[in-house]
Amino acid sequence: MTILNESGVPDVVSPLHGLSGLAEDLGDALIVVAGTRADLHLSLSLSGPLPGSPAAPAPADAPGLPGVSFVLLEPDERPEGGILTSRIFEVASGSRDVGVVLIVACRSARLLGVDPHFEAELAERRLGGLPVRAIGISEEASAVLSKELVDETLRVLVGLSPRGVSGPEHEEPLPAKAGAKVGARAGFLGRLRGRSGGHGAHDDVFERRPVVLLGGASGSREELASDLRRAGVEVVGSVPADARGGLPGGVPELPVVGEGTVVAVLDPYLVRAARKAEERGAQVVRTLFPIGVDGTARFIGDVVAATGGITSEVVHARQVWEGIEHLRSRIRGKRVFLTGDSGLEIPLARFLANAGAVVLEVGTPRLEKRFLGVELSALGSDVDVVEAPDWRAQLERIEAARPDVVVASPGLFVPLVARGHLCRSSLALLALDPRGYEGARRVLALFAQTFERAEALDALNL
Amino acid sequence: MRVLRGLYEGPGSHGILRVAASVEGVQAVLRAYPEEGYFSAIHGALTRSGDPAPVSLSPVGGPGLARDLQEILRRSPDAEAVILVRSEAALLSGEEFSDPVLPESSETGRRPKLVTCPWESPSLREIEAADLALEELVRVHARPQARSLTPTVNIFGPPLFGPGAEEEAREVERLLNLLGIGATRVPLGTSVGEFARLPRAWANIVLYREVGEAATRFLQNEFGMPRVTTPPLGSAGTGAVMRAVGELCSLDAGRVRRTVWAELARTAKLPWYARLAVPETFAGRRAVIFGDFTYALGLGYTLAREVGLEVAWAGTYLSQLEKDFLFQAGTFTEEAFVTDDPDEVAARVEEADPDLIVGTHLEGDVADALGIPFLPLCPPVAQNPFVGKPLMGYSGSSVLADALDGALGNPPREHRRGGKARALGWTEEALEALEDVPAFLRGRTRRLAEERARAAGSPTVTPEILEDSRP
Repeated sequence: MTILNESGVPDVVSPLHGLSGLAEDLGDALIVVAGTRADLHLSLSLSGPLPGSPAAPAPADAPGLPGVSFVLLEPDERPEGGILTSRIFEVASGSRDVGVVLIVACRSARLLGVDPHFEAELAERRLGGLPVRAIGISEEASAVLSKELVDETLRVLVGLSPRGVSGPEHEEPLPAKAGAKVGARAGFLGRLRGRSGGHGAHDDVFERRPVVLLGGASGSREELASDLRRAGVEVVGSVPADARGGLPGGVPELPVVGEGTVVAVLDPYLVRAARKAEERGAQVVRTLFPIGVDGTARFIGDVVAATGGITSEVVHARQVWEGIEHLRSRIRGKRVFLTGDSGLEIPLARFLANAGAVVLEVGTPRLEKRFLGVELSALGSDVDVVEAPDWRAQLERIEAARPDVVVASPGLFVPLVARGHLCRSSLALLALDPRGYEGARRVLALFAQTFERAEALDALNL
Repeated sequence: MRVLRGLYEGPGSHGILRVAASVEGVQAVLRAYPEEGYFSAIHGALTRSGDPAPVSLSPVGGPGLARDLQEILRRSPDAEAVILVRSEAALLSGEEFSDPVLPESSETGRRPKLVTCPWESPSLREIEAADLALEELVRVHARPQARSLTPTVNIFGPPLFGPGAEEEAREVERLLNLLGIGATRVPLGTSVGEFARLPRAWANIVLYREVGEAATRFLQNEFGMPRVTTPPLGSAGTGAVMRAVGELCSLDAGRVRRTVWAELARTAKLPWYARLAVPETFAGRRAVIFGDFTYALGLGYTLAREVGLEVAWAGTYLSQLEKDFLFQAGTFTEEAFVTDDPDEVAARVEEADPDLIVGTHLEGDVADALGIPFLPLCPPVAQNPFVGKPLMGYSGSSVLADALDGALGNPPREHRRGGKARALGWTEEALEALEDVPAFLRGRTRRLAEERARAAGSPTVTPEILEDSRP
């Protein structure tokens, strides 16, 4: 494995895309985007299906994006402190069952002098203790990942999780609720605060350390929790939380994250959220991400070990491989190129290589070498990782290499298809939930279906 | 600072990029932050074109504009012009740089022309910036030319992502060809080389005034080129354009008239629709229209004069064209206004309670909530990226006739105007609670609460009913 930093401009869809999907996953979050016309236009423009992404269900009968509100700043205004708070109050008052308000303060808002953290503190006071937090895109990083805001959101949720029995329940004590206008959830939060430890607080029944799953989607979280329980591990919850019946949970359902908690990270782009968990004293398991059969097996084994137990997934992993052999045979020997925009591509490349594919290149806008250390060392020796790839150079390399399939970012999807390349969008892979053993089957099925459809289309006499 | 549920237009940089990406041979360099590079994804989604968007990001805080330009031009050796665009955040950051010197092309040995946008500012919006960018490109490239031997015109249509841009320009081109007039389409599909030859044409036709105004005025002032600014919408508008062009191209008026008649007989269905439908279809029915400049005015005129609907009001989101819009809208409606807030439009719709709303995608929600027939005919409308239905020309008038037939075919709906007399009462407490709802949700909340009260058989809306009815 070699790592090359191309110092180019990668094709990355803005992290502001898919905000409503994020709001939907969180259940009780109200997202307020504060920015200028450019930011709001970007968020709205990217809310529709992007090239190569699966068809999203039509938005609910609501204006704009469900769960997302927009506060527009004019470029010539110099907003006084507290004005954003007034707008947030306006929006939150008209919404029901809000458990947390997330202010997405865009760069332009900050350039205009908005201090999102001050506004968040002020808004929290005005909303009677309803948690309000500012999230944003890192200003220091030279490149962004398309899932950057998910990382930021989960960082906030980790911060809102109860610390456990011994510590204060919340990182920042929430003031007593002054009013009850913000909805039923907030009332529930108030009641919950009276409990010791909140949902998932571990008691003495379990001797081993409890596990919290960080990231992923509800389906894979459920599957991985079931696998871990099979190995004798207590999974006390997840961030974001899940509620009964497969519905998204809210802030009240967040599990304890603190001293004694083992945090199992499901996604390779959750750098800041994982760091936050460590800062609270939780142990973040450094292992492979649960993508692919061997990745999932190693993940389960290492998480179990971190709780003080021991398990072997060898037999189960072998059975899974046998069960998906027919799909694996479709990818074996295929040459794959991953342009890279989400950070998911590195574990995905590792899985595809394990499955017998030849990975020509895996791109990533930014490489967190320490966080991804285990993944990088598990990549095959033949795989080239290109950090900050230049999208034009990637097009040239793809043209030269003629891979069998390209996992492409949304901006490159259409030009590559037009050049006769078989493509799947990184968004499609994220949407199918690639985590866990079942996720491995879904990934291989997606590629098998892709090859089958291409063969059927090629067979047509046009 | 205000809460908005939707935006009609984007920032100035987006407008410049739309124009730049419309013209072959132009490479746009967007000076922006890493998270602002989204044009290629939208380009792919809306055009489904095989070519990547000719837009490259030069990250603020990156290696520097000069180095980025070197690299971009090394990979795009056939670029004939480079247009330098700055995002809103880049402008707000106060970053300054002097105009760079472009390197010579390794393939042609020529140096591309650098087009800067010195008028760019964070408060400039998409449509106005697109208009100025097109003028800038024309100004830089247009050269004095001898007039073509046979009549030709330039069709200034919408840029990339425009409403059925290809189809509408093609329809107008077809009509001109029937008159024996050649046409060049600008900006979509044209090339940098063709910009130089624009002054050869006998006249400029402005299909979409929002983006063709500044460039055609420049050509008029600099090269004495006359222009036709009537939008070819509806049969009357299309006929007016054909007659005006015929006159400017010194065509025989009889030939123009025969062509118009033939098209009215063969292609245009709107006049047929207006005559075939019984008068009761239109009598007493009121339409409102809101959106851009061209379609809001052109369709408003058509609905009022050719179809016979009462246009209760018309409006536009484009404040920079306010004076012109209000003047022209006065020819077919008593009330015209300008706002950039979709919620104000929604409130006006609710107040007017019309039988038909013609608008942009932003008016869909209020139409749906009130159960009023809605035609999203004002751009941007981009649900059909492969083939947009033309609304311009005689073919377009048939599309409009079909749309109106569908929208007005049902019996007139029961009006809340009458219904308001039977409106439910509200308790003081419920009204107070309603005041807490944001303005842009208030109309919807009121409706839902009244529906809930009726369903519950309550003569008044109480705070409890209001709370229960909220989605």
